[in-house]
Amino acid sequence: MIRLEKIGKTYYEADGGVATLALEDVTLRIHKGEFVAVMGPSGSGKSTLLHLLDFLDRPTHGKYFFNDRDTSTLTDVELARLRNKEMGFVFQAFNLLGRSTVAENVELPLLYSDVPVFKRQELVQRAVRAVGLDEKIHVPTANLSGGQKQRVAIARALVNDPSIIFADEPTGNLDSRSGGQVMEILQDLNEQGRTIILVTHETYTANYAQRRIVLGDGKMTIDEPIDNRNRGNGLIK
Amino acid sequence: MRQGKMRTALTMLGIIIGIASVIIIMSLGASAQSYILDQVQSFGSDMISINPGAPTKGPPAAVQGIVVKTLNQRDVESLQNEPAILSVAARVSGQSRIIYGSNSRSLIWHAFPPIGFEMFNMELSSGTVYTETDSQAYNKVIMLGSKVAKDLFGDIDPVGKMVRLKDFSFRVVGVFAPKGAGIFNFDDYAVMPLTVGQKQMLGIDYYHELNAKFDPKYDANFVKLRITTILRQNHRITDPSKDDFMVTSMEEALTIITSITSALTVFLSAIAAISLIVGGIGIMNIMLVSVTERTREIGLRKAIGATEGDILRQFLVESVILTSIGGAIGIFTGAVFTTLAYFGVVYGVGIAWSFEFPLSAVALAVGVSAATGLVFGVYPARQAARKNPIDALRYE
Repeated sequence: MIRLEKIGKTYYEADGGVATLALEDVTLRIHKGEFVAVMGPSGSGKSTLLHLLDFLDRPTHGKYFFNDRDTSTLTDVELARLRNKEMGFVFQAFNLLGRSTVAENVELPLLYSDVPVFKRQELVQRAVRAVGLDEKIHVPTANLSGGQKQRVAIARALVNDPSIIFADEPTGNLDSRSGGQVMEILQDLNEQGRTIILVTHETYTANYAQRRIVLGDGKMTIDEPIDNRNRGNGLIK
Repeated sequence: MRQGKMRTALTMLGIIIGIASVIIIMSLGASAQSYILDQVQSFGSDMISINPGAPTKGPPAAVQGIVVKTLNQRDVESLQNEPAILSVAARVSGQSRIIYGSNSRSLIWHAFPPIGFEMFNMELSSGTVYTETDSQAYNKVIMLGSKVAKDLFGDIDPVGKMVRLKDFSFRVVGVFAPKGAGIFNFDDYAVMPLTVGQKQMLGIDYYHELNAKFDPKYDANFVKLRITTILRQNHRITDPSKDDFMVTSMEEALTIITSITSALTVFLSAIAAISLIVGGIGIMNIMLVSVTERTREIGLRKAIGATEGDILRQFLVESVILTSIGGAIGIFTGAVFTTLAYFGVVYGVGIAWSFEFPLSAVALAVGVSAATGLVFGVYPARQAARKNPIDALRYE
């Protein structure tokens, strides 16, 4: 599904001076249905790798193939369409529209897709049901708890039926119990066949994944399977 | 926008005031134009006026305060002999103080032959009109406008009473029916026989204006040409550029008045439109604030698949909706004030004003308010569309 070949990212100052090498020669493959945790300390390149993978940024060198297609040839509009159809996003800070209802938030990705208006309602209801928030569907998200907000964000990520979900520190703003519930949902989605790429610095959250990639100083230092016997340790389910 | 309702409403005020002003000015302009045209048309399209002085594109020389002595009795007689012309009324005018007992006031008086009463559609409320005999006999008789009569005599009927103008005593023979305010009413004037006004009040042998009523079976331009030919012969003019008179048909007068009132309306509307620019800047300001406040939302929308075009469109639509709502409120406000002005003019001032609410003004207001939203929304919308989604998502 995802193939990176010696991919890297260098940031330049606006005046063209001082270059910062944020990511260096990362080569990896992520297969459909995998649950991968990307770990590493602050400044290790986790966020840079995530933004290259989700097309919010472009690499300065190397090749990125998505479903065997070289993404360097795609336009910004084509990448936006791919993000909309193939990818779902869950953020640490939820990024919900506080005054809008659960339904309005979940519907957001559909506004940029070619799903006809009459079908949107049904898709929104299905996604909200999947995260167990049916009863809150018309409630403004500002009135929800942190855990509920993250579930809304997951419903929003699901509504377009994406093949891959990027979760950037999804439990970072949650208590242990809510964090556990969110991870359970992500795990269920993975079991349904979706690819999950989780960025986290918490080992117990990473333990939900099947594979761990560790970055350090912009380089991939570890790429190994995770022993799932530790799954969920540290979280209250 | 929904989050700062008061802020949004205050920002829209500029657009509301601008659109309302344009609507009010265009409506009142149309009403004034229609009123003036009605007044002029009431004299009939078979009237031609001849003023002394070289033809100008603007008002006649006399109106500009220039004394020109080129129109005389010989011209009147020559025109009366022209088959296309039914009647000719010469006129002189002056300003004097009129005195009755201890009451006095200043007024403008006109002197013309009795045929003028018919030409100027003048109606009486009491007494009678003076006759050709009065004119020939230099009888000092006078007719008063309704307001003049009221100012001097109060509720007493002035007919038969004596008033003084300059050094002469005049007997009041009639009072004109009130016409209300307007440009061609005689409420504030007095009228006397031509000979008395010309020879005794002014001591002149020329006229200030000639008015000719022509046979409607002739074309106005043909009659104008005939009048011009006759007057050139009388005045021994061979070079048309040296004409010392100006012939204007009612049709031309209407065109001139229409162009003047239209130009005035456009000019005033343009001034009112300045507030639209101020309003537009207000809209741009609030949109820029909104873009900054919604930075994370923009980042999110871009992350989940919105293109730069989608974001640009979203903010432009919001800006246009904002100004269109302002425009709609402005149109409504304008309509309310125009209605109030209508009742004020009709019942307060007493002018038979027609209510005009031109659809072109509404269409213009809708177009201008939407265009203001588009023009002043482009910059904030571009700012939003160009935001880097990664930075936007991290924005605190």
